Amino acid sequence: MLGYIWQYVYTSFLRYWVKWFIRQATGKCELQRICSGYKPGATRATKAEYSLQSSKNQVLRQALKTNKDNLEQRVDQIMQEKNIKPQKDPLFKESLTVCLLQITGYSSLYVSVEDLRKEVFSSDNPEHEAMLLKLWDLLMPTVKLESRITKQWGDIGFQGDDPKTDFRGMGMLGLINLVFFSENYTEEARQVLSHANHPKLGYSYAIVGINLTEMAYSLLKSGALKPHFYNTVLGTPELQHFHQLYCYLAYEFDKFWLSEEPESIMQFNQYREKFHNNIKAHLQDPDVSLILTVRTKA
Amino acid sequence: MVVCSSQGLLSILRKLKSTPDQEVRILLLGLDNGGKTTLLKQLASEDISHITPTQGFNIKSVQSQGFKLNVWDIGGQRKIRPYWRNYFENTDVLIYVIDSADRKRFEETGQELAELLDEEKLSGVPVLIFANKQDLLTAAPASEIAEGLNLHTIRDRMWQIQSCSALTGEGIQVSYTPHICVVLMSERLHLHMR
Repeated sequence: MLGYIWQYVYTSFLRYWVKWFIRQATGKCELQRICSGYKPGATRATKAEYSLQSSKNQVLRQALKTNKDNLEQRVDQIMQEKNIKPQKDPLFKESLTVCLLQITGYSSLYVSVEDLRKEVFSSDNPEHEAMLLKLWDLLMPTVKLESRITKQWGDIGFQGDDPKTDFRGMGMLGLINLVFFSENYTEEARQVLSHANHPKLGYSYAIVGINLTEMAYSLLKSGALKPHFYNTVLGTPELQHFHQLYCYLAYEFDKFWLSEEPESIMQFNQYREKFHNNIKAHLQDPDVSLILTVRTKA
Repeated sequence: MVVCSSQGLLSILRKLKSTPDQEVRILLLGLDNGGKTTLLKQLASEDISHITPTQGFNIKSVQSQGFKLNVWDIGGQRKIRPYWRNYFENTDVLIYVIDSADRKRFEETGQELAELLDEEKLSGVPVLIFANKQDLLTAAPASEIAEGLNLHTIRDRMWQIQSCSALTGEGIQVSYTPHICVVLMSERLHLHMR
């Protein structure tokens, strides 16, 4: 209770005066202090985001909603509003620009991801079909698919004889992630698949992949992935960065599952939750970076 | 079906189910892509837009009419159907979900249902069949499905078929489904008492 009152008093009255006082003492505004005081990454971007959000100045708040094309103009406006001279703080403009690219880029990344998720897999779409067949060829290079509708799909972990019904709430996002992993980390993906086909510790590779896409998606949506992207992308995060994160989850989940030695596949949701909590705990670390590291090829 | 006033039966049920929180165990089965998880989430009034195929099972508890319904939603893919039997014990009501538009698999779904009804651990357990996906133009009506499955030959338990769309919520109103479950159960108990 006391904490709430303090929080209220601080954000509504005190914060302003504290900021004013420090500004008078140091000659630098809060944004300048954030940019010079922290190295590029999650701490700097998160603090800058908070500072802009809670600003009483319209120009500063609006900057969070700007798009990439108007960004430079916005930065100039902020510097004007805050009376920041480029001669006195030559690094500021570049630093704030990167922060804003990261902050606004996170929102636009969510929009792009959401568009892919809403795109329903359709057998009438030749591109969708080609992508599905590509997934097969990447994972099963030595086995030919006998027909489009076949029980063979079960070998890469789809439920029935036509994968189209398995994408469901994740739409094309689920398929694109599966293909991205197989294409960019072919060896690792095949290794994970072979673990998934283990007679005792096995699981359905594709279905679990679609479940992990859901995990990545909900983490993105809730904002939990901000520190990860702020640390790993010093600019606008793109779709490929999201797919990279999926690769990390797919690879790490497999390791986790094997090490836990679950009784059977029926325990999946229990271990999924445990893994999810581990990831969320990692994301609490300001230096988090969920990057898939594989042995470099000799 | 035995016709009785559901109010009277509810009180019988309450007396018989003397556990303090009156828990009801509901088992949700059916082929993959039938809509079991969507149904489960609708019953729990949760968002249904991000559903993924069920690996393993989901469980949710829903409070309704003084009962706590524990609903077990078990994945329907062929590979994990052998695990279904692990969840039979103490089931009060079996809900069997059918994709009414997936005519190619009517035979398969009928076979699975027939096998379930033959299970000793499920003997006498009332079954509520949902003819799901009625929002699709190609969906078969519940009457056609009932006929195809020979439901009228079921003599050893209470049963009911209900057309619904788990997607739109039509036919599975949050209070209605538990109500049917409770009525089916109480009718079963009533039969035992006679």
